[in-house]
Amino acid sequence: MAGRESEYDGAVNPDLVSDQSLKLQDQSTHLTTTANAAAGGLEITCFSELVDDATFHLQIIRFPKQIYAWIGCNSTKFGDLYAAASTRPSNTIGVASILGGSSDNTGSGIARRLVLKTGLNVILACSIPKNSPMLEANAEKKLMEKLVSLGYTQPR
Amino acid sequence: MESLVQRFPVPCKNLSLDINGNKTELVICSYEDHFLVMASQIGTMGTILHARKEEGVAIHPTFNVSVIFGKRDEPMLVACARQLIEHISSSGSSRPLVLSLGLKDHSMETMKGIVSSVIEHRLW
Repeated sequence: MAGRESEYDGAVNPDLVSDQSLKLQDQSTHLTTTANAAAGGLEITCFSELVDDATFHLQIIRFPKQIYAWIGCNSTKFGDLYAAASTRPSNTIGVASILGGSSDNTGSGIARRLVLKTGLNVILACSIPKNSPMLEANAEKKLMEKLVSLGYTQPR
Repeated sequence: MESLVQRFPVPCKNLSLDINGNKTELVICSYEDHFLVMASQIGTMGTILHARKEEGVAIHPTFNVSVIFGKRDEPMLVACARQLIEHISSSGSSRPLVLSLGLKDHSMETMKGIVSSVIEHRLW
């Protein structure tokens, strides 16, 4: 099983990137999360996904009242940092670019939807290249799937 | 009380310790172009600061530290970031630092405790 996992990190036949490898990935991530909880620290979930020839590295840190997430696309650059939270009294979501913001706002939509999904304040670091809606959509999909599987999302 | 996630391309340390009587969650991550350090006592990331070494030809490096989110009237937080970026720089790295501090008190003892704990578990 461990052998299969390291294969996943390297050059893998895209056709094999199916539920099988995702399940293995989930197993390793689950181990990571359990270890952190046992150590008394925060829950940190780190995983990588290969989608349409792009490798996403995702990191989710669950604070009691906040979520930090990082998305790397084919690299481990930190990227731009966004803060998002719901605002009173209207409950709309406010998003601010707090680091690295150009006029590009690749991560701000993802940050906004994370707040909607989790009901928590969100700090998102995102290094997805701009003008790539497909990459953005794929990264967000993987992130949301993981949040749901971790139980961080609130029911609608 | 420490766990190291190694297979993932971003090395990350996560530990829980007591600083000046408050339980503190410490997270240190090393990205390609940044270091991220989080110290939380209040259940959130708190104030976020950015510290970087300035490009220049002077003999002694200069640093720029600013609050990018949160409390802008707490000089101890800025001092903490400055101490850490200076340490990063003297260790040979010119990567900037993103530091988040969510603290119950902003006393000198807490700051010293945080700086020494981060340096003890540093990834640079």
